[in-house]
Amino acid sequence: MVRVRIFPLLAAMSVSLSACAGVGGEGFGYGGYSLIRPKEVRVGDNSMAVTPLREWNKISARIFTDIRDVEDWTQNGPYLDGISFVTGLKDGKALVYQRSQDDRQVPKFRSNMTAPEIAAILESLFRVRGGAIEYKVTALAPRPFLGVSGFQYDYEHLDSDEVRRKGRAVGAVVDGKLYLILFDAARSHYYNALLPDFEAIVQSARRV
Amino acid sequence: MSWSRRSLLAAGGSLAAASATGIAEARVLPKDMVPLIGPGYRAVDPDEKGMWQQMERVEEEVSGSNLLIKDPQLTSYLGDLIGHVGGPAAKDMRIYLARIPEFNAIMFPTGFAVVFSGLLLRMRNEAQLAGVVAHESAHFLRKHQLRQWRDMRRKTDIFSFVAIGAGLAGGVAGVYAGDLVQLGQLGTILSLLKYNRTIEAEADAMGVRLLAEAGYDPMAMSETWEQLIGELDLSAKYRRKRRDRSFTLFETHPSPDSRMADLKISAAEVRQPGKTYDAFRDRYLNALGSIRPTLLDDQVKLNDPGASQYVVETLAKDGWNGLLRFYEGEVWRLRNSSKLGDETRAAQGYAAAVAYPDAPPDAWRWHGIMLLKSGKRLEAHAAFARYLQLAPNAPDAALVRQMMNG
Repeated sequence: MVRVRIFPLLAAMSVSLSACAGVGGEGFGYGGYSLIRPKEVRVGDNSMAVTPLREWNKISARIFTDIRDVEDWTQNGPYLDGISFVTGLKDGKALVYQRSQDDRQVPKFRSNMTAPEIAAILESLFRVRGGAIEYKVTALAPRPFLGVSGFQYDYEHLDSDEVRRKGRAVGAVVDGKLYLILFDAARSHYYNALLPDFEAIVQSARRV
Repeated sequence: MSWSRRSLLAAGGSLAAASATGIAEARVLPKDMVPLIGPGYRAVDPDEKGMWQQMERVEEEVSGSNLLIKDPQLTSYLGDLIGHVGGPAAKDMRIYLARIPEFNAIMFPTGFAVVFSGLLLRMRNEAQLAGVVAHESAHFLRKHQLRQWRDMRRKTDIFSFVAIGAGLAGGVAGVYAGDLVQLGQLGTILSLLKYNRTIEAEADAMGVRLLAEAGYDPMAMSETWEQLIGELDLSAKYRRKRRDRSFTLFETHPSPDSRMADLKISAAEVRQPGKTYDAFRDRYLNALGSIRPTLLDDQVKLNDPGASQYVVETLAKDGWNGLLRFYEGEVWRLRNSSKLGDETRAAQGYAAAVAYPDAPPDAWRWHGIMLLKSGKRLEAHAAFARYLQLAPNAPDAALVRQMMNG
């Protein structure tokens, strides 16, 4: 149902809610992974293209959502690592599908937001939808992205499944829309192992 | 492996929490509430022994969780508190403090309690916290979980009950959810399982008695309860719906009013006329030490604006300060409704916060951002400069410098 694989934990949650995967937990009910080849590929709403260094698994989009603009990849499954692409998120939209009556909500994006405000959206995303219990910003600094002035955001979190994760987002607002690539992975091993791949993807990103 | 652990905890939570639901038809009198167990109590009957064995494994899992707050000053404070209001079994009880932003606390049948950090955030003083701890202790002293468990076994097959508990927890909280978090939110689920309504009334009556015996104002319990209801109502109102979340701590459905009335009458009964009670606010704030800002942060960033505003304003009843004004601004910034003028309200909150000497550095940064966005470059520059002066090693210093000069 909910197209919420903005980061690993959400995937697990959306499955358990939609498919009643049950207490087994292991083995998601996703039918849908497709292979991404190591060559230039368009992501999200196709307004951005990236070139990965190796093959990735794309998690297929789920229906009825206002965030067609988000696409998710993983190497070892969403519990361990994931890359999310946000492509042209419009003013007034949130990064995940949510109902107006949800008690806790991921804040909406606004065109006039500064980098700290966008970073704050990501923090609430992890707290509200990812079960982050402890969350720490490690760096927020200017970084060009897609040829404009953007930012790099580094953070760590301890989640309700007692796993420590670490992430980096590189993003920018272009023509009032949010473009962002987010990498989030288990802190032990997976983050460092995949960071060079993430960096290569960010370097290769271009608007099309 | 993970399954067994999850189902174990879910079952533990079910047992612990199911006993906390229900409303009494007639008021239970505090004087009738004598403890059913003494110091050093151990399981007696074979079925009880089996349950204890299971609960000991649950406690092992809980005590090893990395979600616990292990600050020695705070944990020993909580230990002292339960030692104070825990009646005859006070020395046998254990408290674990979990960093989970939920208004909840759970007592397990073997005498260990899990207190969630969201509870500590919401308590205005030690008397209020002691009220919750007394209520939870009463469940243990009156052997509620055991009575509940036996009652349920009569009605259902225990295995199917366990499966139901685990299944509901998995379905509602999401299988992904960490065990403790699941426990914190379990009230929502277990309100479906209403069994013995008198149990909760007993815990109320005995709680006020324990509170009074320890020298606290027994009215503190109904205050806490009013805060819970007020918070749930405002949270629901802001999301344009009726209150639908219920909690194991104070199950309020179907008649919170009558339970509240009973609680107040009972408190009046055990209150000593003419005595002035100290709420021990200073001692409480001292024990919380430096974690209060973190607790506020954990709550406000969930972007549940009604609940967060209620919490901030409840704490502000004891006086506004820079910290509370800052988080007031944060509530509106995160809600971010242009129709309701939230950006302006947030800006006002930050501007108010920085007028206080205890304003956190973040208040200066957000004050600067709001000034920048409204075109006041010079004033923004000054606010950012103040931020960098207060937090020279801030992780976002480079970006703030860019905003200053950009």
